[in-house]
Amino acid sequence: MADQSASAGRTEADRLRQGSAFMEILKRPEIGAFSGMLAIMIFLWFIAGDVVYNPLGIKNNLAIISQLGIIAIGACLLMIAGEFDLSIGSMIGFAGMSMAMMLKWGLPFGLGPATPFLAFSLTLAMTLGIGFLIGQIVVRSGLSSFIVTLAFLFALRGLTEVSFRLLNEGSTQISGLPDFKETSTVAYIFGGETFKWLFSLLYEIGWNVNRRGNQWVTGLDARVAWWMVIALLAYIALAKTQIGNWIYATGDNKEAARANGVPVRKVKISLFMFTAFTATIFAAAQVFDTNTADAAKGNLKELEAIAAAVVGGTVMTGGFGSIVGVIFGAVIFGLVQNSVFYIPWIDGSFYRVFVGTVLLIAAFANENIRKRITGGI
Amino acid sequence: MAGALIHIENLVKKFGPFTALNGVSLDVYPGEVHALLGDNGAGKSTLIKTLSGVHQPTSGQIYVEGKPVHFRSPRDASAAGIGTVYQDLALNQLMSVTRNFFMGREMTTGPRPFGVMQMREMDRIAHDEMVKIGIDISDVSQAVGTMSGGQRQTLAIARAIYFGAKVLILDEPTSALGQKQQMEVLKTIKRVRARGDIAIIFITHNEIHSKLVADRFTFLSLGEVIGSGTKADLEGEDIRRLMAGGAEMADLEQELATI
Repeated sequence: MADQSASAGRTEADRLRQGSAFMEILKRPEIGAFSGMLAIMIFLWFIAGDVVYNPLGIKNNLAIISQLGIIAIGACLLMIAGEFDLSIGSMIGFAGMSMAMMLKWGLPFGLGPATPFLAFSLTLAMTLGIGFLIGQIVVRSGLSSFIVTLAFLFALRGLTEVSFRLLNEGSTQISGLPDFKETSTVAYIFGGETFKWLFSLLYEIGWNVNRRGNQWVTGLDARVAWWMVIALLAYIALAKTQIGNWIYATGDNKEAARANGVPVRKVKISLFMFTAFTATIFAAAQVFDTNTADAAKGNLKELEAIAAAVVGGTVMTGGFGSIVGVIFGAVIFGLVQNSVFYIPWIDGSFYRVFVGTVLLIAAFANENIRKRITGGI
Repeated sequence: MAGALIHIENLVKKFGPFTALNGVSLDVYPGEVHALLGDNGAGKSTLIKTLSGVHQPTSGQIYVEGKPVHFRSPRDASAAGIGTVYQDLALNQLMSVTRNFFMGREMTTGPRPFGVMQMREMDRIAHDEMVKIGIDISDVSQAVGTMSGGQRQTLAIARAIYFGAKVLILDEPTSALGQKQQMEVLKTIKRVRARGDIAIIFITHNEIHSKLVADRFTFLSLGEVIGSGTKADLEGEDIRRLMAGGAEMADLEQELATI
């Protein structure tokens, strides 16, 4: 028999090809979302032109991007840990109602008038409690989080509507609240403006100027800052810290994680509470910005959040994903949602066609990346 | 018994009416490989699960370094220095080598669980610990899913040793691998043995593998020890007969012939 000396000196470690830097970038989970984002940006530039990227365009784009971005981060972390939360949208409605009612009629049980701070804190305590409850039910029962949170999607929305009608003379809307952001710092933090200095600077250099020669846009919505802060903290937590390693481990193979001492249940419950937190921030920004609340607020937002997470490279089965990708995902959907305003002749419902198409492509791409990493192809 | 790292005395484990272990005694010495052999259902799994704290014995006593121990959970067993490498290896495929190596025991600075991982230090340790027992992973940030079965075994074993295992229980480490990979794992076992301070319990179906690396043998059948001894003691004994639970091969051959 011929001597197979060709394989001499070849070890198992040699079989994994060391890719070039370019190949390494292609392996990043964010790459699909990043290219998609660039494509959309360039497309909108060609179709609609400057109107998308002038100061007002930027403000409007970021308003909608950051809104989606906040809840998408919650959905993404939870999905990496292997669970879903379909109750995000209903949680937004619930939190918005809770805050608006307290602001209008005072604290529950006649405890006096509610300041924006009290209304927010009490609401957050409730939503975190509900998130905790959802998490407990999921980890203790072993039921699919899809079903458990679907139950909360219906129940919370129903509860919100019932409460509204009972207390609000049959109406499911509250409007005409005082403009709290004029008087309260807490309200301003959620509903006011941010990056005013930047837009003053842009005015100074002669870009942010309206037709009459005054400063055009004064600043970005406060929720943009919330999105940035939450995204930064979530990025550090997921990529750099111990809890991040636990989140990945929990979603990848929870038995392996548990055998190595990862507190799988605590991780999941905390993340259900985190999605509730992001829903509450979403609602607070909306209530204090517009001084209104509506029982229908947040409808279908949970699915948009999940879609943004998937487009950002998060694998549906857990264990894989990144915050950077979700940021790109939110930008994609935010821009396309806004493109109705920039391209007047297009039917707004094309947004949904687009979401569906992109979602399917992204899911295929993610599966491809996952298989490449696990050596499936 | 003197010198034994683990001394098991008359271990009985019953699951309701079913007796899984019926008075098993066993000694495991540092620097030795103790092969635990037996057919399916012989009680091998129950024995190692009792040793690793998953099950509590119905009666009997386990001694670690001469001291009686009572494990109420796998955590207790692992704290006492018993590291179990299960067949599924408790690894996460999508995570990197380093992240798997330190899973649940990350080196961090700052308050738990938000402490920042010392990734560079962790990378170095994971790499060095695996080199010690025989594989040089070029890139510890590669996903475990890209590694071969033998490399994964090595990772799981290196991890158990690094986190303080004095007794290493390997649950059929060669069973799901190809020939060459099996030899890699046997080499790894030999290297761990050569350290001299670690006792290895090697569970296998494969008599050839056990003969290649083991110093001491215990054969289980129907929850009882049907044969044991050192390599020298068993010279000339029909290991295959013991593995088949004491059944005579001739009988089996005869039975087969009649079909």
